[in-house]
Amino acid sequence: MGKFIKEFAKGLIISNPVFVLALGLCPTLAVSTSIDNALGMTLAVLIVLLGANVIIAAIRNFVPSITRIPIFIVIIASLVTVVNLIFQANFPDLHEALGIFLPLVVVNCIILARAEAFASKNPIVSSLADALGITVGFMLALLMISFIRQTLGTGSLSVFGFHFFTLPILGKNPIAMFILPPGAFLIIGLLMALFRRMGVMKSE
Amino acid sequence: MPAKDALKKAFPVILLTVVVAISVTLLTFTDRLTRDKIEYQKEQKIQSMLFEIFPNMSRYDFENDIYTIYSDGAKIGYAFLAVGKGYGGDIDILVGLEDETTIKGISIVSHSETPGLGSRITESFFTDQFAGLSIDEVALKRNGGEVDAITGSTISSRAVINAVRDTAMEKVKLLEESE
Repeated sequence: MGKFIKEFAKGLIISNPVFVLALGLCPTLAVSTSIDNALGMTLAVLIVLLGANVIIAAIRNFVPSITRIPIFIVIIASLVTVVNLIFQANFPDLHEALGIFLPLVVVNCIILARAEAFASKNPIVSSLADALGITVGFMLALLMISFIRQTLGTGSLSVFGFHFFTLPILGKNPIAMFILPPGAFLIIGLLMALFRRMGVMKSE
Repeated sequence: MPAKDALKKAFPVILLTVVVAISVTLLTFTDRLTRDKIEYQKEQKIQSMLFEIFPNMSRYDFENDIYTIYSDGAKIGYAFLAVGKGYGGDIDILVGLEDETTIKGISIVSHSETPGLGSRITESFFTDQFAGLSIDEVALKRNGGEVDAITGSTISSRAVINAVRDTAMEKVKLLEESE
């Protein structure tokens, strides 16, 4: 149990996928425009990463190293296609908001990196913990970034139609730049710098 | 032991084949489960897009891939789907016709163009240009038409323009024949 918690906890801070490993930055930049999108992307990554890590850990002893990458990619791509179809059928608005970034989870470096660096060398339970930890770390990063971008870029905050607050001046004149790509780069860079300065995260 | 060696060499291939076979089965199964629902969602979306193009629409018929739009029993136009070959795949466009020569409006149903560049074909500054044009005016300005391409997305813009014009001509011909 202690080991499970250790593998889970490391994904949150010491190997946070976005701020420390700097993996999956492309989807992070693209979908962190609102908390709704951030949570939708997290759900997709959760299903795919959990499935991929568990399956790959389960078959790790049979897979010859020469064909491991094609096998991992087939497994990941199948899971992504399944998730894509299910989202398309049941959450059409979310599917549209995530757009091309949902099928692109296939090439999200977080997933192949965890398969290659962790699940292919560790037992199922540890791989499950790793997948959960990395996903929660990814979610925390996305939530922080999208909270700042949505608040500054639209002047108000609402999640799944539930309205939280509208800022006094920004509500009328939002800083649209934060919703656009430059805002994403700025916020990620500043948060990364802040966390390093505070000593919360160190580069590995 | 040559037989054993051969098996050892073939093992990665066999394993990969098995993995792919399992994956294909899984995907076929998911497709079966979700296909009807996805079709239904698409139908809903097209219906709301028809309303955007024809705000007075009271009902529509769908026959031979052409939507005929009615308002209180009177025919007010036609609509159909056009498929363009974009930069990142197919672009599905809903085209509304006021009569046999004039475009009422267009709407992008689905696409996989580059976000921020080609994806701007969905924005109204681009799609609004088509409203009120006659079918042969649907071309880039440099080719003698009336439509401005999106900066940096000539391929996507041209895909939409060509699909709208070519499909419109084809459908109008069908409409005239059936009358």
